[in-house]
Amino acid sequence: MAQLAEELERRMEELRAEIRRAVIAGDRARASELRRRLRATDREWEEALARLAAPQAPGGPGPGAGPGPGADAGEPAGRRGGALLTVRERVHQALTLLGAPAAPRLIVAVYEAFYAGELPAARLTSLRRDEERSFRSAPHARPYYLCAALSADLLAPARGLLAVSTWPMERRVIGPLSPRVDYLTAAIGVAERLLATGQPPAAARRLLWRFAVNIPGAASGPAGLDPGQVAAAARAELAVHADADAAHRAAAARRALDQLDSAGQLFGGGGLRLLRGGAAR
Amino acid sequence: MNAVEARLDRLRGSAAPRAHNARTISALASNPGCARRAVMDAAGVDKQRVAAHVGHPAPFGQSQFAITRGNAFEAQVKAGGCAQLLRLLRERLRLPIPEVSYANLDDVAGDTSNKVRHARTRALLARAAASGQDAGTLFDHPLLRLRAGGRAVYLEPDLIAFQLRGRFHVVEIKSFAVIDGQADGGKVAAAVIQSAVYVLALRDLLAELGTGPEAVSDEVVLVCPKDFSNEPTAALLDVRKQLTVLRRQLARLDRIEDLLAQIPQAVTFDLEPDAAGVPRRDRRALELAIGAVPARYTPECLETCEMCRFCREEAAGSTAALGRATRDDLGGIDDIGTVLELARGSVPPADHQAEAAAAIRAAARMRGEILGATG
Amino acid sequence: MSVLTALARAQAWQAGRAQPVATVRHVHVAPRPFVFVPLALAGEACAPLAAMAGDDPADPRLLVVAQPRNRTQRFAFAAELGRELLRYIGGFPAGGAGEEGAGAAADRGTAGQGAGEGGEGERAVPPDAPQVWLPNRAGIGFTRLLGRSTRFRRAEGEHAVDPVVPVLGRWLTFLAERSEHPGSCLMLAATEALALHWATGQSPAEDLNLASLIGWIDPPAWTDGREAARAAEDPLAWPPAGPATDPGFDNEVLARLIAACDRAEAGGGEAARAKAALGEALAGQLEPAWRLTWRAIGLLRALPEGGHVAGRWEADRRAFGWHAAHLRDGGPPQPRRDSAVAAARRLDSMERAAASLAVQRALDDPLVMAEHRLAGEALAGRVTAAEPDRVITGPSGRRVLRPLVTVRTHDPVSVEPGTVLAPPGRPNQHARVESVAPLGARGAGMAGASGASGASGASGAGAGAAGETEVVLELSGGMGQRLTPAPGSVPGVGDWVCYATLRDEYQPPAGFPEPEQTPWTHGGPPRPYEPTDEDAREAWS
Repeated sequence: MAQLAEELERRMEELRAEIRRAVIAGDRARASELRRRLRATDREWEEALARLAAPQAPGGPGPGAGPGPGADAGEPAGRRGGALLTVRERVHQALTLLGAPAAPRLIVAVYEAFYAGELPAARLTSLRRDEERSFRSAPHARPYYLCAALSADLLAPARGLLAVSTWPMERRVIGPLSPRVDYLTAAIGVAERLLATGQPPAAARRLLWRFAVNIPGAASGPAGLDPGQVAAAARAELAVHADADAAHRAAAARRALDQLDSAGQLFGGGGLRLLRGGAAR
Repeated sequence: MNAVEARLDRLRGSAAPRAHNARTISALASNPGCARRAVMDAAGVDKQRVAAHVGHPAPFGQSQFAITRGNAFEAQVKAGGCAQLLRLLRERLRLPIPEVSYANLDDVAGDTSNKVRHARTRALLARAAASGQDAGTLFDHPLLRLRAGGRAVYLEPDLIAFQLRGRFHVVEIKSFAVIDGQADGGKVAAAVIQSAVYVLALRDLLAELGTGPEAVSDEVVLVCPKDFSNEPTAALLDVRKQLTVLRRQLARLDRIEDLLAQIPQAVTFDLEPDAAGVPRRDRRALELAIGAVPARYTPECLETCEMCRFCREEAAGSTAALGRATRDDLGGIDDIGTVLELARGSVPPADHQAEAAAAIRAAARMRGEILGATG
Repeated sequence: MSVLTALARAQAWQAGRAQPVATVRHVHVAPRPFVFVPLALAGEACAPLAAMAGDDPADPRLLVVAQPRNRTQRFAFAAELGRELLRYIGGFPAGGAGEEGAGAAADRGTAGQGAGEGGEGERAVPPDAPQVWLPNRAGIGFTRLLGRSTRFRRAEGEHAVDPVVPVLGRWLTFLAERSEHPGSCLMLAATEALALHWATGQSPAEDLNLASLIGWIDPPAWTDGREAARAAEDPLAWPPAGPATDPGFDNEVLARLIAACDRAEAGGGEAARAKAALGEALAGQLEPAWRLTWRAIGLLRALPEGGHVAGRWEADRRAFGWHAAHLRDGGPPQPRRDSAVAAARRLDSMERAAASLAVQRALDDPLVMAEHRLAGEALAGRVTAAEPDRVITGPSGRRVLRPLVTVRTHDPVSVEPGTVLAPPGRPNQHARVESVAPLGARGAGMAGASGASGASGASGAGAGAAGETEVVLELSGGMGQRLTPAPGSVPGVGDWVCYATLRDEYQPPAGFPEPEQTPWTHGGPPRPYEPTDEDAREAWS
């Protein structure tokens, strides 16, 4: 059996070399065929190893536990920290703190900085789709949904942003100035949470520092980081953009409420139709 | 142009044309004298597959680690409404505070087709160019279009910033580091010429809208990580020289019919794939077809052109294969055999070779004298 | 490059084997060098992935970073490498330590060159010095970056690292900087050292590949240089000698193994197996370059050493001593950037070293001298007439020995009467050109070169005798104190001689203000470089 495993290992080496040659030759078809064979060989090899291990250590790593190349280690990591909250609850917490639509990366950073738990980024990728499915099967059954932010012009889901359904429509549409406005809003949210926390964790201070360096007058150095100053500086810049942004968003929100059904208001809709009309002109 | 396009299609054969991108267009500038490359690129030939089929694939490839790093750095610089980029543009390049407007042109309501994205890019940039104030500042992944060799090529700069000193600026985000104010010269040069391609394309687009070239700065913004950190830093780079080079090259591509006129009509680089996509073209026939279009090989091709290994083999025995400096030192004489015959004095030099031949003979005499052997 | 080298390339191509462009070795080869073959992770500024290092060809130390993006693991790598390198450097007593002023001298040390420069502070020169080899210049570039990213670190405080890390950084920086100094051999790139001695039948760009370069120089018995060099370009058979890895290896092998290490760590167990598999794969990438670098050293060692090599190595030993003393005396690390005065000094000293190296190589090596002969800066030929006992009355009225020799040469002579030449190997002798007379085919018989025609070499090659030149030289100096020349100090008829305009003379450094007098146009006096907290904390991500 050990011989078989070695034989398979040799075969895998050969396959990998052949793949590299196929890739160099630009032969994609052959490369993917070879990859398929490599995966198959790899599975055989895992099984051979499992059989080798089985007699000596029953209950050792079975075939399922082996780190096969296709297997994704997605599931287990999320259970350790914040075990009491579901992923959607954790995302909701972070978004509420930020007070504005945000990208998954920022949501994860905020959650992990303030709530001392883990929020595996991989779990956020399908979140919006799951929420939409849930909403469509039983509308308004939940107190809130994690939904899309909508682009102000086309009312289509804005790429890579999550929002909360209970927020007013104005907050959930994204005009041209909104990315900056929301960034400043988020900075204020983080700063105020830090002010409200007696002993802020180091990760939270680092997070605020990352905001502060990008806001004029917010910080002089990591040592002298003052959440109050960050919030004040963010508000000062916010004042420059706020009116124009608010006008833009209000107009877009009116259109969204007029034109979209309730699912569309949360998850976007009609974008393509609108666009085709627009592009033709 | 139709006859030319038909001819180019025939050269390419059954395969779909390879799309140009900023990298392939800027590569054109590196060996302008090579007809083989100009023709194959104009025809959109998949040079890598052709080279592989005749047994000389170029060893090009990109590490997934480099790709991942590049993408991650770009995403980071653009996160939070381009928060880091805005800081750099404000601090280093005096972008006014109110200029924060951001448009993502990666897709249009989920549609990622080139045509739709380009139309949208055009509309937004037109509005910005016409109204100046308040019509957009940051255009993320705009899709531009450039005519190269009679074909439209879509190009996607990392970002275009407007109202930076009152003009459009191409912003290029690269993940190679600037350490203590210095970066790898080769990588900077490559970034500069790629950015120049975007400047050209942006000017083309604005020209169609009736806006003059001065609306686009010939300085591009290069954003790179600083030292060993992930912190970005920005520099303004002048691309005027590269613009001139590129324009000349593109003009040359547009005159591709001149080159085509010198190639036998029957020539094609078709790989004649079978139903499964496996190339069935007779290898020798393909070699002859490639050989029908003259190349100008230099060792620098090894860095930039997929045909390099084939051309190198073909150039074996020429002084050019030994490098430009060697060829120049040997008085520009093409053939190694000739050089060695001149060295031995076994053939009389042609008139134009007299001076070079004298130097070569003297060198050969000295080497023989010192090493006790003759070349 | 020159016609000579270009011709050697053409000859190499035809012969299927590299051709010599030097008759002696122009680099010092240490009896016990240290070889360092690093690999870096693609896409990162300076992320060590693995390395082979050590001074025993049979026993390389393999260093592996299982997760190259992990800061802790990077510093662990640096510490391990640091211990390995310091163990080696520790084997060289730095000599004459501890006197006062050692720190100041060391500051000049990077700029200071050469034997006897300045004459100040006659500290004992260390008897020997370390010598570090990398496969190629890119490897030295990586070494410099690794030095830059480690030398400001601190062993205490918030971001404390192993104390050996900053010391490693300072040595790597010193060595990498020194490697830019013409003629220095403390840190060498194998490809460059080889290319100084052999011309291949391929382009200089292709010579950057160590495997293919050695393929030309020393092809396996069953094939020739062309074939060997081509075979060496297959990244599966001959992985690149770093620091960049082959993208195919990254995508098909490395990514999977690093991911396995990550998973193993997260999930516990399996870790050793995953790490071993990664180490094995990386060793497979490194080992060919390790062996090639040692082969390069062996090929070079087999050449006889040039006459000036020892002198240049002494300058290296001195620089090593300075740096060791500077470290021992607690001097600060090298700054991020040189101050204006330091940069100007450094440039000046490098220019002088380059000029001196060019002359020394020519004086040591007739093949290098031939380049100067082709350029008309030197001439070589046979003595056809000599008047060794000629005595004249000098300008001061004293009678002086001034022998005349007549040299017939095929070389393109461009010196003019009055020019003073010198024979290589006789630094004290001068030869003033008295007359230059081109000989036609007729002239060949005139001088009655009975001795010359019997000798080998030159006359055979220049069968036509056309284009020969006769040069009469008046010698002075280097012939002893009497009015008859010391035996052997004046060449006789039939001797093969060479005279050159080149002279290896001590050139004093250009005058630079003291750092404290730097003009404001150049930023004013530099503040002494004080590494900051920020330097120590600098991200390495």
